[in-house]
Amino acid sequence: MSHARPRLDAMRPRTPGATRTADPRPPDAFPLGGNYGPYLLFGSCGAFLLLTSLILVEFVLALGGGQAKYDAFMTRIHGGAYQAYFWIALIGLIWFTVRFFGLFPKTQPFRFGPLKRPPDAVMLTGLLGAFAVLNIVVAVILGGVLG
Amino acid sequence: MAQVKKTLIVTRFDPDKDQTPRTQKYEISVEADAKVLDALNHIKDHVDPTLSHRWSCRMAVCGSCGMNVNGKPKLTCKDAVSNYGDVIEVAPLANFPVIKDLIIDLEGFMDKFKAVKPWIMVAKERAVEAGPVKQSPDELADFKQFSMCINCMLCYSACPVVSNEPDFLGPAAIALGHRYNQDTRDEGAGERNEIFRQDGGVFSCSYANECSEVCPKHVDPSAAIQQAKLNNVLDWAKSFVVQRGGK
Repeated sequence: MSHARPRLDAMRPRTPGATRTADPRPPDAFPLGGNYGPYLLFGSCGAFLLLTSLILVEFVLALGGGQAKYDAFMTRIHGGAYQAYFWIALIGLIWFTVRFFGLFPKTQPFRFGPLKRPPDAVMLTGLLGAFAVLNIVVAVILGGVLG
Repeated sequence: MAQVKKTLIVTRFDPDKDQTPRTQKYEISVEADAKVLDALNHIKDHVDPTLSHRWSCRMAVCGSCGMNVNGKPKLTCKDAVSNYGDVIEVAPLANFPVIKDLIIDLEGFMDKFKAVKPWIMVAKERAVEAGPVKQSPDELADFKQFSMCINCMLCYSACPVVSNEPDFLGPAAIALGHRYNQDTRDEGAGERNEIFRQDGGVFSCSYANECSEVCPKHVDPSAAIQQAKLNNVLDWAKSFVVQRGGK
């Protein structure tokens, strides 16, 4: 077990005590072992949220910028790089959402006024079900089946 | 009871001699159902009396014997040697300065612990004639889980935010503060929430959930922190329409 790790100030007392102490070490599995890897990946998926939001903003601007701009935007997003990004982002955002919903139920208070909090499994099933229905509806609309 | 042979690789640090912690190997025989703490006590009693470690109740109540066992924060009195292979690595809890061998410095935690005012605060003392304060089972259930903390510090040792943000109040302290905020006898939620909203408060938590994974008493500190976040947002929003301290 190596102790050659960077010095940390975590949990150090505000005033030094009489006894010399050894520097704190970060958790052994940090940053990629155990549950830390998924935790960092979860945070990293925020990049997809940001980038996809920017693409949506660009889409709205293209819509308002006239036919030429809209056509140029549509041509661009059908390019290989965009297509690859969309697939990676889709997987990332689905995983992010499923994990977020998994963590969501226990963040809620034990009671909502006079009502008790529903069981975690009920909340989770409801959230995942709504997410699945929303995705199916959007896919059907984008696929041209509706509208 | 059958004996099993185990090799314990224990972190040693003597502030009078060592510049940095080192490891020492002990090959011992202990009963098959021994806990890691029993193995450490065996070393202390029969092999090396200079080994220093904290323990007290031996029944997962006092929270003294938290250590990293094979890289994971564990209560050593609750963690059996049979959970591991022939080699067991025992180190002091991560994220804490080490005083000696397996003993960590808790002063930093005590500062944070006091900061959340973990006691019932009332604006005016209740007269004895008024009788006891009544609390329904539902009201008790709102915070009972969070009052089960034994301050073993496993959650601080597992928390990646504690590693990176020295001012973070941390899981146990916030869970305890939230416990009092949820208590119907308490009137100090506004005061505590102001502390929770400061730098290093509840919003520093990025919900890794490691604290709840390692908690030996199933307190679920990460739930307490997320609930405290929600309460703080509501409290903050309410402050625009209701005078602070008002109901």
